[in-house]
Amino acid sequence: MKVWSTPPTLEAAAAALERRFGDRVLERLEFRGELTCVVAPADWVELLCFCKDAPELAFDQLECLLGDHLPERVATPFEVVAHLLSHAHGHRLRVKTSLAEGQALETITGLWPSAGFDERETWEMFGVVFAGHPDLRRLLTTDDFEGFPLRKDFPLQGTVGGRIRTDLRGRI
Amino acid sequence: MSDPVDHVARTAERGAPAPEAGARPTLAELKERKARSRQRVERGGEVMTVSMGPQHPSMHGVYRAELDLDGELIVTVRPEIGNLHRGVEKLAEARTYHQIIPLTDRLDYISGFAMNHGFCEAVEKLMEAEVPPRGRYIRTIASELCRIANHILWLGVHIMDLGTQTFFCICFRDREYVLDLLEMLTGARLTHSFARIGGVAKDLPDGFDHRCRKVIDFLPRRVAEYERIVKHNRIYYKRAKGVGIFTSEDCYAWRVTGPPLRSAGVARDLRKDEPYAAYDEVEFDVAVEYNADVYDRFLVRMKEIRESCKIIRQCLDNLPDGPFLAPDFAHAMPLKKNVLRNPSAMIQDFVHVFRGPQAPKGEVYRAIEVPKGEMGVYIRSEGGAKPARVRFTTPSFYHGQVVPAMVEGEMIADMVAIFASIDVVLGDCDR
Repeated sequence: MKVWSTPPTLEAAAAALERRFGDRVLERLEFRGELTCVVAPADWVELLCFCKDAPELAFDQLECLLGDHLPERVATPFEVVAHLLSHAHGHRLRVKTSLAEGQALETITGLWPSAGFDERETWEMFGVVFAGHPDLRRLLTTDDFEGFPLRKDFPLQGTVGGRIRTDLRGRI
Repeated sequence: MSDPVDHVARTAERGAPAPEAGARPTLAELKERKARSRQRVERGGEVMTVSMGPQHPSMHGVYRAELDLDGELIVTVRPEIGNLHRGVEKLAEARTYHQIIPLTDRLDYISGFAMNHGFCEAVEKLMEAEVPPRGRYIRTIASELCRIANHILWLGVHIMDLGTQTFFCICFRDREYVLDLLEMLTGARLTHSFARIGGVAKDLPDGFDHRCRKVIDFLPRRVAEYERIVKHNRIYYKRAKGVGIFTSEDCYAWRVTGPPLRSAGVARDLRKDEPYAAYDEVEFDVAVEYNADVYDRFLVRMKEIRESCKIIRQCLDNLPDGPFLAPDFAHAMPLKKNVLRNPSAMIQDFVHVFRGPQAPKGEVYRAIEVPKGEMGVYIRSEGGAKPARVRFTTPSFYHGQVVPAMVEGEMIADMVAIFASIDVVLGDCDR
């Protein structure tokens, strides 16, 4: 059985985060050797900036940034999740923040330009606005698409276009 | 047929410098070269806007770019993707983990098995399911066959974009041998859906070992011939050498992974750095080049084909006995042949088809090295048989984004070479 454990460099990185941010890291989760830090939206850019610059962390690559929708959490149903990777240490970190409907999050395209498409996708799929993003347009769907498709309340079959005519089954 | 060395000498005679063996430019030198090749963008003139793609013959798939041109210089590029968006992530939320596997090989349809493999690795991490050794070896063989098929196709398309038709046919012929092997192994040429949670769908068929050895003995000779045709070809050399320099720093900033990163002198390969399947039990070298240009991306991919042949040969030599799919009631499907004979297998089949494998609550991210770069899968589970959120972090998505940073300031003819050299597949890009 493969045992997933947290690498020692990541322990040191977590300790450095703890020293710098203290209680502002709202939650620290470990699962299958992966570390997740939850922060408030106000600390989002500051924490990621620290992750990039501090030598114990040295996260030089943004692996991916994605959105998530948890409708059961009424006050803050949206989540933005960033995965960071350090080439120097070889460890990974996940940073999360929770947002209310319509609440904007500051962009991190200044830290990692690769966040550009990710943030556009998160905006078009979940409706999370990234303040300061240079070009926040729809990316994968058409320009006149309405709604945010990856929200849980968006129907799987979509809201436009043809539907499967189940009422005709057996008659044609 | 002359010796490859003659071609080096001949290329040198004709004016192009012979490729320096073992020369390793520093990051500063690379940056300076890059700046030199792009300082032409400062020239001011009338700017014309042209749409390139989605039906342009040298645009891959349905990628579209709006170019602002000053004469033949590219001033700005605005990439437009999404013409092939199929909502795989939304579909995945409505399916059980077993049912998602066939969606994944439609992402990067050139190397379908690698995508199956990445997804299954992530699910196995989430569920802590184990893969028996034989299953891990068969996965390694299939992944490497996909890598070979992908790189050979890439080479043909890349050279065709630069203006040659015949070479494309040569590459397609050789890729066919690899696809035949994959068809023999998985039953499909492109969309394999061959990986399963806890192993693979089928054992190696009879006669596979013999045929596979024939192909992997034959392919390195073919690679030598590609290099004889392309590597010292003066036209290719002039169009690829020093074009599209993208340093390791830029690669980190833009999340460029795989062969473009390794051609910038970074020996980063998840097969070595975070070993999965049987990669920690076989010996191979990470293909690295140092000049970070189109030419070196070609060299890296040719080296990788050779290394893949080496890996497959070692896997065939050391193939362990035992089950290829874990006899794991909780996570894996039963063998199909047992379902109608063995009551426990029948119950297992029922449970997995109607209820699905149960995952614990939690979230995982698992990345593997697919032919085009690093492909990661993020899964958030709230328990039960369906994921709450799946995200496929595919390499082409980021490689499609990086095109402006790579080509602004270059000539429009170089854009074709550069865009082909980073190997974007739009199914992978748009998901």
